[in-house]
Amino acid sequence: MTVLLQDVRKQFGELVAVQRLNLEIAHGEFFSIIGPSGCGKTTTLRMIAGFEEPTSGTISVSGRDVTNVRPYRRPVNTVFQSYALFQHLDVYENVAFGLREARRPAAEIRERVEAAIGLVQLGGREKARPRQLSGGQQQRVALARAVVNRPEVLLLDEPLGALDLKLRGDMQTELKDLQRVLGITFCYVTHDQSEAFSMSDRVAVMNGGLLEQVGAPEEVYRRPRSAFVADFVGAANQLGATVAARQGDGRYRVAIAGCGERSLAGPEDLAERDDVIVVVRPEDLRVAPAGGAGIQATVVDIAFLGAQRTVRLDAPGIGPLMATTRSTGDAVERGAGVTVDWADEDAWAVPRTPSAAPAA
Amino acid sequence: MSIRRHPVSALLAFAVLAFLWLPLLAVVVNSFNRDTLMAGWGGATGHWYNLAANDHDVREGLKTTLIIAFASALVSLAVGISGALWWRRAPRRAQAVYDGLVYARIIVPEVVFATALFFLFVHFKFRLGLPAIIIGHSVWNSAYATLIIQARMVGLDPSVEEAAADLGATPWRVFRRVTLHSLMPAIIAAGLLAFTFSFDDVVTSYFLQGTAQSPLPIVLFGLIRFRLTPEVNAIGVLVMLLTVGLMSLAVTMFATAGRLGRSEKRAGFLDMYRR
Repeated sequence: MTVLLQDVRKQFGELVAVQRLNLEIAHGEFFSIIGPSGCGKTTTLRMIAGFEEPTSGTISVSGRDVTNVRPYRRPVNTVFQSYALFQHLDVYENVAFGLREARRPAAEIRERVEAAIGLVQLGGREKARPRQLSGGQQQRVALARAVVNRPEVLLLDEPLGALDLKLRGDMQTELKDLQRVLGITFCYVTHDQSEAFSMSDRVAVMNGGLLEQVGAPEEVYRRPRSAFVADFVGAANQLGATVAARQGDGRYRVAIAGCGERSLAGPEDLAERDDVIVVVRPEDLRVAPAGGAGIQATVVDIAFLGAQRTVRLDAPGIGPLMATTRSTGDAVERGAGVTVDWADEDAWAVPRTPSAAPAA
Repeated sequence: MSIRRHPVSALLAFAVLAFLWLPLLAVVVNSFNRDTLMAGWGGATGHWYNLAANDHDVREGLKTTLIIAFASALVSLAVGISGALWWRRAPRRAQAVYDGLVYARIIVPEVVFATALFFLFVHFKFRLGLPAIIIGHSVWNSAYATLIIQARMVGLDPSVEEAAADLGATPWRVFRRVTLHSLMPAIIAAGLLAFTFSFDDVVTSYFLQGTAQSPLPIVLFGLIRFRLTPEVNAIGVLVMLLTVGLMSLAVTMFATAGRLGRSEKRAGFLDMYRR
């Protein structure tokens, strides 16, 4: 384990930023922490960096307990959301900062700084001041300034937040490539789930100072552990239901309000008569002409999104639903009656209680 | 539609300006006046400047003044910088108390402080003289320095210092390599301001000088009373030039310090200190 957080808690006066956090980040992993603002993800990152001290619990990096180690003695480096570049130093000196503090020999500094600047494709801009660079270039300087020190873990706090959409996409690809080339453990914090999904090996979803779920992006998306996760990581149709019978193997017969009994998968620990929420992704909802088997609904609106169409539906007794369909092919008409259905394996049940973890 | 011109107000304004500036003009003119009694224009001469430059009292006074102003500026900066560093991370209530003490030093009349310090020094048998004057000047100079440096400190992005610490800089190195650089325009402005204020102070210096050499403003005061010649004017002009020069430099620096990231055009040589 490169990073290990055990029972970490952080309070700012009365405010509990992180309730209780246990987290393991493997060596060489691209790990992301996502969650809405105020969920404790940035506080978690700042505790790993050493800018905040946990109220209780321990943090270790590469097997060494660093809970009370000052930031300048930790084998981690940070890329800040605001870049936090040194405005009075040029690009070269910004990147050289850490090596100079570590008193590396001049020849080694030159070699490593030049390599890092080349790595982020800023060769030729060594003498520029940060203010003379574009946002994307400043981002690269911040990146080079951190990785040049060869940290055990690179911490990234919403590093792409200030960039425009196109540039952000390019930088995501570059970050991923960079991580693969360097083999450094990345710990990436963002509120943007798609950004985290596109780059990460594993994703942790936080909410209200607690960890909701950790897993590979696909697992988190397909098999959310809570209604919160289901909703946060992408649009989700949520149907109220009750467990009618356990079928073993994590499969259940579930009575869905307004729809009848269906067979679907869910977590191991659901019991009969448990209230659950059935999650079906919009892209898994099939919209067919009225009269077939499934939920009868009315088309409220259709939005054209290029490759896809989003169909907003209203099902009596269930409520609003959303389906995405390919934009080619037959279009359903607004106001038309349709039948909505899904394959059993595309539905998933989560407990109705908002979060499984107890408070404190 | 025409806008009223208010000719009377304009006249009044010009009268006030004239009242303020004509004496200064008279000082400048008279500093070149050959007529010793300044009763009329006796022709131009540079004699008085020569006399002033070679006057022992004036030279010693100037030297004393410069030492006091320089030392007081340094003390004020030390107090201002360290105070602002503490203030930034202090609890709110402590901040309020500190702010109150700073403003009090500016609001309380100088003569009150001077009297209080006089009795304090006498009571503790601290010899009056240069060090006493330097302490006295630093009392209010440090208050101004604190305000200016704090203003800049508030605008600093703490993540830049965190970045330095993150890159391995110890707290002292962070201060040296990052914080000090960011504060530099404010430090220069505060230093110049303190220097200038100290330079032309009479009240505190007069109370605390004891038997030591008088600083220049007090020497000047003595000249006016006992030896009034155009030499006084020449000294006045020199002091004026020096203080106006320093003040405008201070104002320019402070404007820069407060501009934080506005207009890119006027960067100039301060460019490296601006964020």
